[in-house]
This record gives sequence, C-alpha cells and structure tokens, in this order.
Amino acid sequence: MRTRVFAAPDDLVNWEWVGRNLDTIAERTWQHVYLTVIAVAVGFVVAFALSLWILSNPRVGKPVTQLSAIAYTIPSLAIFALLVPVTGLSTLTAEIGLVMYTLLVLVRNTVAGLEGVPDEVLDAGAGMGYEDRRLLWRVRLPLAMPVIIAGIRIATVSTVGLVTITAVIGQGGLGWFILRGLNTVANRSTFVLVGVVLSVLLAVVFDLGIQRFGRYFTPWARKVA
Amino acid sequence: MIVLEEVTKEFPGAERPAVGGLSMEIPTGEIVMLVGPSGCGKTTTLRMINRLTEPTSGAILLDGVDVTKQDPVEVRRGIGYVIQRVGLFPHRTIAQNIATVPDLLGWDDSKVTDRVQELTGLVELDPEMLDRYPHELSGGQRQRVGVARALAADPPVLLMDEPFGAVDPIVRGRLQDELRALQERLHKTIVFVTHDIDEAIRLGDRVAVLNVGGVLEQYCPPEELLAAPANAFVEDFLGGERGLKRLSLRTVGELELETVTTAQVGSSGAAAKERMRAQGLDWITVVDDDRLVGWLEAGDIGDRVPDEARRFAAHTTVDTSLRQALDSVISSRTGVAVVVDGEERLVGMIAADQLAEQLTR
Repeated sequence: MRTRVFAAPDDLVNWEWVGRNLDTIAERTWQHVYLTVIAVAVGFVVAFALSLWILSNPRVGKPVTQLSAIAYTIPSLAIFALLVPVTGLSTLTAEIGLVMYTLLVLVRNTVAGLEGVPDEVLDAGAGMGYEDRRLLWRVRLPLAMPVIIAGIRIATVSTVGLVTITAVIGQGGLGWFILRGLNTVANRSTFVLVGVVLSVLLAVVFDLGIQRFGRYFTPWARKVA
Repeated sequence: MIVLEEVTKEFPGAERPAVGGLSMEIPTGEIVMLVGPSGCGKTTTLRMINRLTEPTSGAILLDGVDVTKQDPVEVRRGIGYVIQRVGLFPHRTIAQNIATVPDLLGWDDSKVTDRVQELTGLVELDPEMLDRYPHELSGGQRQRVGVARALAADPPVLLMDEPFGAVDPIVRGRLQDELRALQERLHKTIVFVTHDIDEAIRLGDRVAVLNVGGVLEQYCPPEELLAAPANAFVEDFLGGERGLKRLSLRTVGELELETVTTAQVGSSGAAAKERMRAQGLDWITVVDDDRLVGWLEAGDIGDRVPDEARRFAAHTTVDTSLRQALDSVISSRTGVAVVVDGEERLVGMIAADQLAEQLTR
C-alpha cells in the first residue's frame, strides 16, 4: 500500500481501466438515467396534481410553494440522513429526496403556465361550450406546455446533478465513481472524471432531448415572437 | 326571440347590482345593440344570456325556454359567441379554430371540412389562411375567423361583445359593413354590445341604451332614438351632431328627388339658354341621352350644346347616405347635388332644404 500512496500520479485518465470496466460504467449510467427519469416523472405527477389544486383553490398557492421552497433549502445530505433510518439505503430513499427537490420548480412553472393562458381564450372556450375538464385538457394544458416543459428541463438538469449525491446511500448512478474517486488514491482522477464528464453529458442530452420533444409538440409556438 | 324578465345580477361585495331587474325583448332576426357607459351592465347582460355569468334572479327565455334552467354547456353550443379580443385558440390552426363547435358536437370530419370551406367564403377569408396559426394573421383577419367560428354550427343566436373594438377604424368600418351584409343573408338574432354610439346606430335594428346598474333608458330603432331621445341621459349619450347621425341612416334613394333642368349634347344652344332664363338658373346640367355629362354656364354654350362640360365636384348615387349627400350639397358651387344611378344615368337632384326637411319629419 505504501508504495502506491507515494507512487507517481496516475495519468489523468487511465484508459486501460476504463476499457476493462465498460460494463460497470454502462450499468452506473443506466442507473443514473432511471433514477433521474423516475424522480422527474413522479415529481411532475405530484406537481401537476398540486398545481390543479392551487388553480381551483388559489388560497393554497402560497403555502404549497412555500413548503416546496423550504424543502428545496434543506441540504440534500441531511434529507438522506433523515430518511435512511426509515426507508434504508434504498432506491426509494433516493427517489423521495430527488422528487422533493423537483417540486419547487415544477409546481411554479406548471402553475405559471396554466395561469398564463390568456383570459379571452378561456372565456371564448367556455362560451363555445367546452366543459371545464375538456377546457383544461384540450386548451389550457396544451397552451401551458412551453412553460411547463421549460420547468421540466430545469428540474431534469438539476436532478441529474443531485443523483450523484445519492451515492452516499449506495445509489448514485455515476456519482458512485465520484465517491470512489474521493475515497481511493489509485486512479482517483479517472474515477472522478468518468463520473463528472458522463453526468454532465447526461444533463446536456436530457436538456436537448426535452427541448426537441417540446418543440415537436408545440408547433404553434415556434413562430411566436 | 330572446326575452329577459326582471333579470338581476349582483356580484358579491358590490354595493349595488350590476344589472337590476332588466326586462327586454330581442326579436328574432334582428340586431339589437346594447350600448352605454362602462358599468352599465351591458357585458354582464350579454354573458347572462349564454350563462357565462349566472343571473342572481329573473328568467331569460330563448324561444320560450328558460336558459337558466338548462345545461349551460348545451346552451352555449347553441349560441354563437364573439368577443373583443377574439380569443382564438393559439395552438390550433385557423381551420381547427373555425371547427371548434362542430367538433364539440361530434360532426363527421367531411361535414366539418365542408362547413369550414363554406364559412371561409362567407366571411371573405383567404383560404390560404386555414392552415396557419392565429398569431400569423392580422387583427381584422382574426376577427373574421372569430365570426366564422361563432357561426360554425349555424346557431340562430349570436352574442357579440365589442367584437370590433380592438381593430383600427378603417378595418372596423369594413367589418361593420360585412356584418350587415352577412345579416342580410343569415337573419340571425344578434345581441351586440358596444360603447360606441355610432356603431350602435350604424349596425342596430334596435338600440338599447343602458345606464349604470343595467337601467334601460330607451329601447327603439336608431332613427327614433336620434329623433326623440327619451331623456337627458340618452340625449347626452347620443352626443352632438344628432341631425347628421340621422341623415347617415338614410340613403338618397329614399327621397323624392327633384327634376333637373337638362340640355342634350348637340341640341340647340339658344334653346338651352332660354330654359335657363325661364328657370332663373345660371347653369344647366348636360346629358347625353340619359347619361350625365356635367354642367355648363350660359357663356360656355355656343350654337350647340358641346359634349364637354364641367364635372360635378361630388358624385352622389342613390346609395349615398344623406349625410354624404349633404356634404356634396354644401361643398358644391351650385348648392345642389345631382344624383345618378349605378350606370351613371341621371335620376334627379337634391337640395339642402330637402335634407333639412327630412329631419323635421
């Protein structure tokens, strides 16, 4: 061990190690992806329900956003520390924390999007004979999409970053490499760089992908100045 | 027919009702204008008819059936609705916007497509617009789409809430003319809210002047409104130039025109001058058969009446409004305006005292 500790620094990236561990890298990347997707998907469902509640009952708007803002300020490490005694070192623990952090952005943007639909459009829709529910799904929601999708992009990118923290409870996706890099000496920079570069890459891919998806489904918004 | 019976709307927290016990009848096939200052409850009244606003009390009968006791969604699908800011759906193409109510009613696709085509022609919209989105259209085009959308399922009743309030005056004038022309063909029962008394007079078969709190001050055809305002409020609201506004409601063709002393092109100059002397005129109207050529003074005429004459400054036809005819009369040197029909044939002339007489009737 001694010789290793005082050995000359490794190359910045030990490509030979990378080559031998492609399986692990793929596996961790996949874990990162699904931790992110589940967190954002569940977060959106919860946020959407909360947003509808706020919309139909404006008085709850402030308390709900304040609560999600408070949740947002709690350090993520603390959240996981608090949850582990209850839900263990599990994916569930990771997801509960991750979902919590998506709520603030998602609720804010969803409410802003739905409230931003011009009154005259809703008035005309009601006057044409849309039922409330149909007006929501066929007019209000589609028109809120650009703002909602902007929220999903922000939430997704920040979740990709946060997933790395869940390495401390045995999850973490690509964060596992970063944590290992911090705890070992051999190949330290290789571990950290693999974790960091791939998770940044993931964030970029998600961001562009969601943007594309959004544009495809809102062709009418393309030429709006 | 739409009947309002003692309709009242009180908004929570308001000191007095927005509309207090309003009763009126809107005859089938007529355009009824609700006009008044802000706070007079005109929009509230309109919105109670399709139940976007629930009346606090009273009944609203649509062909004898009380709408306040029916499913509001069904009521609304049977009534066309046009609003000032149009409210087209930004995420749907123009064709999809027009098809809104037929889609809600579950029409077949082919029937919907045919109907959209038909309406595009009816409101004089360029068919190229159909695949565009609302933000790609001008204000006037959007309002045409708004009207087409309201007419889509051919509802017998149309509610219009300041539909032309947000477009520039020139486009507004054109849209008003188009609405009148459309109404000639469709005979809808139209309730039209405006704050513009000129628009009310121009478009309405009847005008209801409302005062603050939904008080009906006067309800009658525009001619009568201008001729005999019921009280000081109505008089004040009508504003100045009431006489001119009345003249704008009638056309030259409705008058009995005076005959014109004429001279045929190529006829004897001496005979023409003799006629002028006999009539005490210092000018004469020149015609070629019955087509109007212009006018000449005695000094312009030689042996024969020439085929070139001075043009009349203003062109007055049987379709010209009396207001415009008055303008022609007072700005012409001769103090009269000659009137031609659509084919430039002379039909008579009109003088200032004739127009003044119209106002004393």
